[in-house]
Amino acid sequence: MAINWQTYQADNVWDELIAPNGRARKGGAALKTALGKLDDSELLERRHAAELAIRSMGITFTVYSGEGSDTIDRDWPFDIIPRLVMKTEWDEITKGLIQRVKALNLFIDDIYHKQQIIEDGVLPRQYIDKSKDFRPECMGISPPHGMWAHICGSDLVRGGDGTMYVLEDNLRVPSGVSYMLENREVMKRVFPELFSDYLIHPVDDYPTELAKCLRSLNPNNNRSPQLAVLTPGIYNSAYFEHAYLANAMAAELVEGRDLEVGKDDYLYMRTIQGLVRVDVLYRRIDDSFLDPEVFNPESALGVPGIMRAWRAGKVALANAPGCGVADDKVIYTYVPDIIEYYLGEKPLISNVPSYRCVEKDHRDYVLDNLDKLVVKPANESGGYGMLIGPKASKKERDQFARQIRANPRNYMAQPMLNLSTSPTLIDANAEPRHLDLRPFILSGANHYVTTGGLTRVAMRKGSIVVNSSQGGGSKDTWVVDPQ
Amino acid sequence: MIDRTLSSTALRTYWLGRYLERAGSTARLVSVNANLMIDLPALLSLGWMPLVQILSQEEEYLSLYGDRINTGTSAADRNERENNEKTVVKFLLSDQRNPGSLLNALAYARENARTLRGSFPRGAYEHINEAYLSAKDLLQEPLSRSRRNTGLQEIIGHLDLINGFLSSTMLHNASWQFYRLGNFIERADMTTRLIDLRTTNLVKGASDLEPFTVIQWRSVLNSLDSMQNYTISMQNPVNQEDVLEFLLQNDDLPRSLMRCLNTVRNCLRQLPNNTEPLELVNKMRRQLQRARVRSLKDERLHKYVDARQKQLLTLHNKITNQYFPKS
Repeated sequence: MAINWQTYQADNVWDELIAPNGRARKGGAALKTALGKLDDSELLERRHAAELAIRSMGITFTVYSGEGSDTIDRDWPFDIIPRLVMKTEWDEITKGLIQRVKALNLFIDDIYHKQQIIEDGVLPRQYIDKSKDFRPECMGISPPHGMWAHICGSDLVRGGDGTMYVLEDNLRVPSGVSYMLENREVMKRVFPELFSDYLIHPVDDYPTELAKCLRSLNPNNNRSPQLAVLTPGIYNSAYFEHAYLANAMAAELVEGRDLEVGKDDYLYMRTIQGLVRVDVLYRRIDDSFLDPEVFNPESALGVPGIMRAWRAGKVALANAPGCGVADDKVIYTYVPDIIEYYLGEKPLISNVPSYRCVEKDHRDYVLDNLDKLVVKPANESGGYGMLIGPKASKKERDQFARQIRANPRNYMAQPMLNLSTSPTLIDANAEPRHLDLRPFILSGANHYVTTGGLTRVAMRKGSIVVNSSQGGGSKDTWVVDPQ
Repeated sequence: MIDRTLSSTALRTYWLGRYLERAGSTARLVSVNANLMIDLPALLSLGWMPLVQILSQEEEYLSLYGDRINTGTSAADRNERENNEKTVVKFLLSDQRNPGSLLNALAYARENARTLRGSFPRGAYEHINEAYLSAKDLLQEPLSRSRRNTGLQEIIGHLDLINGFLSSTMLHNASWQFYRLGNFIERADMTTRLIDLRTTNLVKGASDLEPFTVIQWRSVLNSLDSMQNYTISMQNPVNQEDVLEFLLQNDDLPRSLMRCLNTVRNCLRQLPNNTEPLELVNKMRRQLQRARVRSLKDERLHKYVDARQKQLLTLHNKITNQYFPKS
């Protein structure tokens, strides 16, 4: 027995590998053939080898068990069948992503200066005034290169007709990039021979590019700036990634208690030799925890005075505080307008069509069609707090309707997308499973986009929830030249 | 050049060194004691409780198992000692309620290593993780004696590999020095503990029992992986005077107190702001060189070793005050 491609069928959705006529899409034939040659025991052996590699490499993620502060460290879920993306398509996507982050950075910079986009009537003022992530403390600050969102993770999905859409932009503290890098390492260990069938573009330059980007933000005039990665600590779900990136960049991995702001407003870390200045801090904690003097006074994770140091231009923070104002699912609906407004260009990658619940005609449509729509709160991540209309019960929909009426600003809705699928190993056979793709875009003195990104896959049949905290898995993503 | 090692990193690295060393010592102790049981006639056997005493864990043990420290000589006492092998071994190796168990030492080491992935070579975490995972698999259920012994050898093998790996791949920078400080302070502590306990519990009496005294000293040497080294260096049959000199003063033996102190000194010399701890360790070395350890016996030996342990604790405290975060 082996994978039975004859019975493989992706119903009414776009499959990334197999075309409706049952043959491999362009560039996919070699992968399909190679996988088809493996019998059941070989397939399961590879999967087992991948599990072992992940376990021994200690690739884990942390989930909150929901009881008290207990957390569980789980092995990273991984599917051994890679997802292919053609290089020609990726080049187009890269251009589109850079266009997007350029516009978003111009937007954030404008919001914290003249707010011209509001003056010109493109964006209603209330969206900023009522935004949870707008930080008045950031008004008038001009970070290096005018860049605020230095690291952005945008989620791409492909609809039934094969069009790629941006589903959301994660601008606060996006995570997942270390898993993209580790997935490749695991694949090299368990499927080395597959790599000889393709010219697969490498992904491992990311840490170097990230370090380059962070160094370009150095506000002080020393030539080799001290970089540090600020983590909330070992119990954070992305701790593995924080340590991974710090290690790969030769930056110090620090917690709030390792840092202090001096009387001279510089940021320092406590070392065995006393205080050493930090020039650029890649912070992986939310704005609200960053500085107990300015934001949440209860925060023990942050550094008292760090906002003072940043405002004085003595330390660079990546991402800049306040950039979450553009990471709001209602602002998202304006991104095509934002691109046109600042760049005078048409968006190269489409937004998913969206309805703003705050606008009456949109809201009425949403409330009348809850059974067909996905409703998302403006400021949640990780797939929490959203309603998947077609899969929800009447009771859940009614409850959501009440929430929307009570706080329309906090919600937007989108038609339920038929996310594309890709063959995924289930038992010893390949079955279609829905997936998305999160590339990472860096913005400092220059822009950089990862080669591919992190593919997340919903392991449950028919499910479109890809978040690893909710049973999602992942795949290695191969950007390949068409043969 | 400015040393950028974080105080908190130094602390975790030091404890990583201590935990890994402790895990290895515990594995060797259990393994060697099993052999000692075989070699000593039941009449002289002290059973397994001395191991709990060596590690100063009587209180924890008694609170968990409600036993008593049984060193009596009656038949009933001996019988009971035979029976407590299972509980003591479980307590020392796998009991999660015992913070000092081998499995917990490895778990703490692994937690520390997880937080140190930023400053250790990548493979280090993999090896430490492997050591923990294999110990966990191994110690999950009660083991036959022979399986236990192979298992302990496996764990010791993992630990040796970790040290070898770090030594040959890690930058020999400040982090490395803190790792070694942890290793060697823990090691010095264990060597002195072993001598102290075997001295206290040493078989005394008629000359026909002398072969068994030798067996006990042999077991001390074995616990420190030093039997073969002893034979090579001392060129003498095992006897108390030579063993004491060898384990305390020998310059070349990796687990002798002198060698540990020398290594600690070398580590400290690579670190900034080292005056206080360095002065103490140099004083300890001078005292040890001058001491007439061969002639120490019974109570005097116990007092001598006890004083060394107190100094080691002071050394630990000085390092803590100098380099680690103020809590």
